[in-house]
Amino acid sequence: MPYLECRNLKRVFQHFTLDISFSMEKGELLCILGPSGSGKSTLLSAIAGIDSSVSGQFLLDGKDITSIPVQKRRIGMVFQDFSLFPSMNVEKNIQYGMRDVPAEEKERQTEKLLEMVSLPGYAKRKVNELSGGEAQRIALARAVAAKPQILLLDEPMSALDAPLRKRLRSTIRQIHDQTKITMLYVTHDREEAFAIADRIMIMRSGKLEAMGTPQELYRNPPNLFVANFTGEGSVIKVPQIAYNPAKNVAFFRPEDAVIKKCIPNETDFVLKNALVESYEFTGSDYMVRLSYKGQEILVRSNQRPEESIADIYVSKDKLLMLDAE
Amino acid sequence: MDKHDGFYKRMALPALIITTVVFILPVGAVFLRSFSSGSNLNQTFTDPYTWRLLAFTVWESFLSALISVLLAIPFSVFFSRYTFFGRKAILTMSDAAFALPAILAVLGFVIYYGNNGMVNNALKAISGGRWSVKILYSFKAIILAHVYLNFPVAFSLITSSLSSMPDVEEKASRLLGASGIRTFFRITVPKISGTILATFTLIFLFCFPSFLIVMSLGGNPRFFTIEAEIYKRTYTDVNPAGSASLAIFSFLVMALLLVATGYGRDERRVRRSTHVLIKATGKRLAAAVALCIVIFIFMAPPMLAILYRAFFTRDGVFTLKAWADIAARSRLGTGTSLGAVLNSLLIASGSAIISVNMASAIAMGSVRTGSRFTTLLTSLPMAIGSVSMGLGFSFIAARMPLRNTVISYLLVLAAHVVVVMPFAVRSILPGARRIPERLPLAAKTLGGDSREAYRLIERPLLKPYRRRAFAFSFALSLGEVNATLALSEGRVTTIPILIYKMINQYNYQGAAALAVILLTIAITMFAIGETGGDEYAVS
Repeated sequence: MPYLECRNLKRVFQHFTLDISFSMEKGELLCILGPSGSGKSTLLSAIAGIDSSVSGQFLLDGKDITSIPVQKRRIGMVFQDFSLFPSMNVEKNIQYGMRDVPAEEKERQTEKLLEMVSLPGYAKRKVNELSGGEAQRIALARAVAAKPQILLLDEPMSALDAPLRKRLRSTIRQIHDQTKITMLYVTHDREEAFAIADRIMIMRSGKLEAMGTPQELYRNPPNLFVANFTGEGSVIKVPQIAYNPAKNVAFFRPEDAVIKKCIPNETDFVLKNALVESYEFTGSDYMVRLSYKGQEILVRSNQRPEESIADIYVSKDKLLMLDAE
Repeated sequence: MDKHDGFYKRMALPALIITTVVFILPVGAVFLRSFSSGSNLNQTFTDPYTWRLLAFTVWESFLSALISVLLAIPFSVFFSRYTFFGRKAILTMSDAAFALPAILAVLGFVIYYGNNGMVNNALKAISGGRWSVKILYSFKAIILAHVYLNFPVAFSLITSSLSSMPDVEEKASRLLGASGIRTFFRITVPKISGTILATFTLIFLFCFPSFLIVMSLGGNPRFFTIEAEIYKRTYTDVNPAGSASLAIFSFLVMALLLVATGYGRDERRVRRSTHVLIKATGKRLAAAVALCIVIFIFMAPPMLAILYRAFFTRDGVFTLKAWADIAARSRLGTGTSLGAVLNSLLIASGSAIISVNMASAIAMGSVRTGSRFTTLLTSLPMAIGSVSMGLGFSFIAARMPLRNTVISYLLVLAAHVVVVMPFAVRSILPGARRIPERLPLAAKTLGGDSREAYRLIERPLLKPYRRRAFAFSFALSLGEVNATLALSEGRVTTIPILIYKMINQYNYQGAAALAVILLTIAITMFAIGETGGDEYAVS
């Protein structure tokens, strides 16, 4: 039996409708990934109970929580803007959600949580003296302190800079592994989702587009949207390769193609005389942008392209046949 | 059910009901009185005199607002651009002037600019009695007093708006080669025109129901505003039906003005300053000093004159007679000076406590439910002049079977609450808007209910705004004359009522001593309102 089950959730806005059903397992870290406006945060608010105009049914650990008010759902939430309470210090913030816990125990747990988020000794600090990264760590500790049945994280790192995001996402994964709390993590950042998720759910225009492990979604995307959203790649119209007539486009990742001059294998598919448009040095290799019969092709290359015309070799088993949009 | 379980609606509702009832009762009483007297209303609306009154009222309000704003603009532009020693002090003083009771301006003007005032005495002394200027008891005295009271308001509002505007557009304009003057007219003026218009409107609305200044400094029925005429009809002509009809006329005009100018409209824009002040040196510093001196010469003398007259006779002899009177009469129990001080403190504290608590509930309710109607409703009392309001309450008092001191005080308190409420709500609203809705929602995801979230999280964040609102409401109630006078004809004696009576009896020294007390309390309250600052910054 799934741990969290959302059945037929529906929320109608003027130009947008959320319409989704999904479930997740206990102890799982599920990332909801999707472009801006795809309904990720609306979904999270609905699960938390903050948005009560959503119709549908929520089952948590087998219990119907649809009509239970927010404060009784035991669903924790970490917000984009941290939402720490400015009128309380760090300690009081963390202890806010500890209900029916003796004072001594509260203190002990607070210390433990502060250590968990690598901020020991911060108990008496004022929250408006914290940096963004520190504030979000405290927000995490506060949410965990309330011992939620499930923890929702709404783009918790969008207000932080890139190096900090990388450090904090591994903290979140560690907290998940230590506490075994079921987590639902919303982000629009593919790299972030790949880095921490057990599974990823991709949303688009209020609907579920795909669900799977990061590897599954990257290697075997069910459609072109998921393929493009999970990483870079190139699309070729099928008549040019006449490979699988049931599907009308072929897709491949930049790392699955080469532009080196070599003798093609039987297993290779060749795009001859592509024009090198531009290339970027990425640090480890070059991302080369080519044009083949008016179509843009991306190829990773160890070497900088020397000539303006090149042949592209794609291994046939890496070629994904998909439906065009 | 909303996401806050209806908590904020439940919290705001009682306050809204009380405000509405306390507002509707006197207005209803006025309407009832007018309609029960037959053709009075029709007669009032068709009487050319009514329209002449309206024309004069509009004209004096327009002129007062225009001059206040025009005078303030250059000062505001300078103060929002440059920093120099004393800048903050002047800005704080102009904020304080918001709560300066009109009665102090009246008294200050009488003592300073009066026919036997300090200016004329000095002129006569210099010229051997040949020179004198006649300022008081004229149209220009009314305008001058209005500008005196409202110039700081305009200066403070426009400066704070200009200071919080990013000046990137100006910088871009200068980088693109435009001169300072061209930049000012092409970029700055269009940017601040909204603020200027809003300030003009506010001052116009302040001056429209002007009563005290018109009565005391105009000194001629030719210079009567509608409110002054209402008072005259009630107490001099003893024609309550006529005054009720005129009050209705005034209410309709004011309501129309409020709607037309959209004063009840919410201003939700919150901008952060990205604007660095330049340190004034050389010529600019000289300009700053000159501007400060100009402000000082205009603003300080009337107040200093009050302070002087509280301790010196007209001929310059030091005396503590007025102070001895205040103490002595109250000791004998026959006088009312100390009693008036106590009355004022009691009524001001009461109305400030009531208004701040109701205003907090209304402001939070309005912000959390996104209701514009609520704020509009609370600015409605601005549509009725405080004389008309007092008149309404006096009609209610007349119909009460029981009349005693307690009831009189309660009615005065109610009138003050109605007068003060729109300002209390407006002082707290920005604070309520600054508290992100996510905070109470975060509290809920941690198991707290809305009531607990309000008590532990939102209320502490509102504290500096509540304190400011309290100080402002207290000061407004402390200086309130119109409603108190119209309601009890001075039976409930507060400090400003006593000052008003003393001015009419030419007892300027007694009035000045009381005015010093009034000013001291008002300044103390303002200081309390400004202390502490914003303890919790919400990011």
